[in-house]
Amino acid sequence: MFLLLAVMGMAFDLGRVYIARNEAQVFTDAAAMTAAAKLDGTAAGVERARDAVARLPMRWNLGTQEFTGIVVEFSADGVKWETNPKTVSGAAYARVSAPSNNLEITFLRAVGGPSSFTVPARSVAGSNPVRLTE
Amino acid sequence: MMDARHSTCVAQATRAGRIAGVPRVTGERGHAMLELAVCAGVMVSFLAGTFQFGYTFYIYNQLVTAAGNGGRYAAMRAYRSATQQDIERGAAAIRNMVVYGDTQPGLGAEAVVPNLTPEQVDVRWVPGDPGAAPSAVDVSIHQYTVDGVFRAFTFSGRPSVEFPFVGRFAPSEHEP
Repeated sequence: MFLLLAVMGMAFDLGRVYIARNEAQVFTDAAAMTAAAKLDGTAAGVERARDAVARLPMRWNLGTQEFTGIVVEFSADGVKWETNPKTVSGAAYARVSAPSNNLEITFLRAVGGPSSFTVPARSVAGSNPVRLTE
Repeated sequence: MMDARHSTCVAQATRAGRIAGVPRVTGERGHAMLELAVCAGVMVSFLAGTFQFGYTFYIYNQLVTAAGNGGRYAAMRAYRSATQQDIERGAAAIRNMVVYGDTQPGLGAEAVVPNLTPEQVDVRWVPGDPGAAPSAVDVSIHQYTVDGVFRAFTFSGRPSVEFPFVGRFAPSEHEP
């Protein structure tokens, strides 16, 4: 029975984990590009970037759940990141993280596995030209 | 001495599941068959379900990857819109990218996801300001059925991705 649950857990739970990871990565890619595309060196551009990311219609967990806890950060050099940049004129990169995709585990927890699994994702995009850099 | 040999024999027979030299009673054999039938039924159901969901998730994951690749390509390619035909040709190239991983697949090209066809890929441009480039592009899969042998699952409208349009806007150009 233990072995059976372990095999089912591998197929069912790990399958969902891989899907969630893939969905989250595609989302952060799109979100980082969306944010970078809105950057124009003004405070309004930074605000538009945040707003555009919040309005992205993509979902995760087999397309059923909205992403929550999304973090949008900006940087002038791709090294030092700020959520609320003090000098918006130099902001040329956008980084989007989706850190709280908490997937509930169904079968693997019965054989000693975790009860949930967090599947984070992060992407970085430059604004001129708008391209994914990480 | 006799007792010791007898007890060893009984122990071996018990391990073997029956008394040595004593034929199995017909009712016992029936019980074993019934147990096997019940256990096998449960086991086969579990294994079938495991295979079905495992395979369906595997295919869905491939669909997410394919839609993501198509979305990224659509976001960065030139948007040529001299005529409605050019827009449709551009959308066809994006569909081919999703299905074959290539905008102009050769004859006999294999789909990256089994049985996925370009007709099952929706490409929708999100309009921007009037006369300006589209603001984004939506790529989604519709009416795709995963045959999990024991049961089929149909996905419609998912996976779905939206990427911002960041390519070149060429309203007077034709698709090559």
